[in-house]
Amino acid sequence: MKKESGRFTLKLGAAICLTLFASNSISYACTTKVGAVLPTSVDWGRPIAETAQFVVEQVNESGGVLGCNVEMILRDTQVDPKVGVDAAKALVDLDGVQLLLGAVSSGVSMPILTSVSVPSNVMQMSCCSSSTAFSKLAEEGQTKGLWYRTFATTGVQAAVGAKVAKDRGFKTVAILYKNDDWGQDLNRLITRDFTALGVKVTSAVAINDGQPSYKAEVANALSGNPDVLYLGLYPNEGTAAVREWLSIGGTQNMIMANSLKSEDFRENVGLKYLGNAFGTDTASPRVASADAFVELYKGHFGKEPSGPGLANSYDATMIALLAMEAAGKGATGDQIAAQVNRVTDAGGTPITADAAGFKAARTILAGGGNVMYQGATGNVRFDKNGDVSAPAVVWKFTEGGTKEIEYLSLTEVDEFIASMN
Amino acid sequence: MIGIISYIVFFTTVASILAIAVLGLNLQWGNTGLFNGGVVAFFGAGAYGTLLLGGKPQPDHIAGFELFYPIALVGGMAVAGILAWVVGILTLRMRHDYLAISTFGVAVAFENLMRNAEWLGGGAKGLRGFERPFRDSLGDGFLYNLIFLVVVLLCLLATYRFLETLVSSPFGRLLRAIREDENAARSLGKSPAKIRLTAFVSGSVIMGLAGGLYGTFYAFVSPQDILPTLTFQIWAMLIVGGAGNNKGAVLGAFLIWAAWTFSGWALSRFAPVEAQLYAGSIQYILIGLVIVTMLLWRPQGLLPERLVVSQSGLR
Repeated sequence: MKKESGRFTLKLGAAICLTLFASNSISYACTTKVGAVLPTSVDWGRPIAETAQFVVEQVNESGGVLGCNVEMILRDTQVDPKVGVDAAKALVDLDGVQLLLGAVSSGVSMPILTSVSVPSNVMQMSCCSSSTAFSKLAEEGQTKGLWYRTFATTGVQAAVGAKVAKDRGFKTVAILYKNDDWGQDLNRLITRDFTALGVKVTSAVAINDGQPSYKAEVANALSGNPDVLYLGLYPNEGTAAVREWLSIGGTQNMIMANSLKSEDFRENVGLKYLGNAFGTDTASPRVASADAFVELYKGHFGKEPSGPGLANSYDATMIALLAMEAAGKGATGDQIAAQVNRVTDAGGTPITADAAGFKAARTILAGGGNVMYQGATGNVRFDKNGDVSAPAVVWKFTEGGTKEIEYLSLTEVDEFIASMN
Repeated sequence: MIGIISYIVFFTTVASILAIAVLGLNLQWGNTGLFNGGVVAFFGAGAYGTLLLGGKPQPDHIAGFELFYPIALVGGMAVAGILAWVVGILTLRMRHDYLAISTFGVAVAFENLMRNAEWLGGGAKGLRGFERPFRDSLGDGFLYNLIFLVVVLLCLLATYRFLETLVSSPFGRLLRAIREDENAARSLGKSPAKIRLTAFVSGSVIMGLAGGLYGTFYAFVSPQDILPTLTFQIWAMLIVGGAGNNKGAVLGAFLIWAAWTFSGWALSRFAPVEAQLYAGSIQYILIGLVIVTMLLWRPQGLLPERLVVSQSGLR
């Protein structure tokens, strides 16, 4: 044990020396700390943190935030709410950060938000939490405008599904949905959207996993004799349910969530029955800034940004730092949060998502102007709840796979969702 | 400076809540020899029970009866107790590893129930809408946390006093008799089955108290709070502190939770930026090392159980 601890001390000493000597070429008058609480001990969590760190490096390269070197203090959540909340509390109390990046899981982000960020008046920006509970909390006014996330909710998928039904002239619809948090959310949202567009929902039936037969559920869905069937299911249950649906004489008009974009589903149901089945999905934006992010990422890491949440993490960090720049020296969390709209202003000067873009933004913001951030997920814009939306596609099955039949840009999706409310 | 104090208050609150749960486990394992592998189910039952009873009504599930807070907390403990009673009747005929496996299964089933039953506890999204008691008059800040800490410490002290009295009473002697040799205890006319169930339910109610306080402190609970990791953490605290010794249980809780949080803090502060991404994994190794070293060097724990022939020997 003595030897072990000796070695550890040695390593720790070496680590401290490294930090002391690894000084940057640019000398800063000051340091601004930001906190990051991310699950770095999970394999897919580490690239998300690396991406955030990459943004910080670029911002420092461009001269830092308000002339200060940005230091991102990274803490591991271990996907454990207790550990995540403790880390966030330590960052706020001991390091005095005004900005928290994270967390990934909604179950960790939520207690951090309610018991650290909001009581301590610190801005929290998550790359990857998808739960609709945050939107509700924001609507109740309990986030105090301190909460933002760059990850699109299930709302986009639901809205586009409803749009397909309306565009194709269907008047009535039955819904089959997977009985879990995603399916439950999707069902609630799409029922609302169908109703808003004047499509009558005849029945909405929950499908539990792994049942040998779905006859009762399917018969229930068919009882209203709908024009079209909406499927918020995964391939296994989807196949079983659709087979029984067709065998009792249900319509071949179907709308599918992205979860059914699977070869198994196509082959096991049979392509000849899927001629009138339309799928929906959220898409990567087709804008130059998204491609620029991919190139930048490849240049730095030597590989494609293929993991979940990387583009979202990039944008979350960049927007948060831009807001800090806009808020000025000594700004508190709520003051920073209030500046987010200034840096994601649709009418502002467009800026790129890199060191040069940050430099350009600095000048414009200092002059009192607004900027429009064009990031890895497109022109990010938050609604009043701190949520973002995403571009979407409509697709169909073909012999070889799937074919896109309609692309809706972010602006079109936003306008469509706004038109329903 | 106020930051450091604020953090210490926060840390002590969480550590004290965990210490209460460790005390509950100590009654079951340390004193009675019941291997409860599903600590988190009873902790979770307490948390969900308290938040369901004390929370505001929610549109999409049954949560929210807005009961007076102490009643909600006691209700949460009762939920944990009822769960323990049902589980106990079904599983307490089993011994050691069989009991561990079946209680572990109960914990996993409980987590899955809360994840799926949206009408009950909000499903995978977790249970919101709970207002921390007296928040209106005390605000959300440091003062609240300080007063909450005092309440938690009082609960910890009460639990500790209760268990100390219990284990030094004839009933405590009976628990140890059952732990050491059940047949011998039965030959003296005692009913081990009944006593085991009593100890199991009492310990679980204490875990429920810890869960209720935990849920109150975060004003939120989700299936992610009741993953098997928590069972492991609480067991680690008891083993390091010393099974069978209530002081050891509390000490273990504070030490392990301090190691858990301090190692993360130290790594984020002293490790170079490039190594920070691996800090999480290094932390796991460090904590594992502490526990393994402990088991090799001092398997009875830091404060081992003091066995005496008669209780008068204690004084």
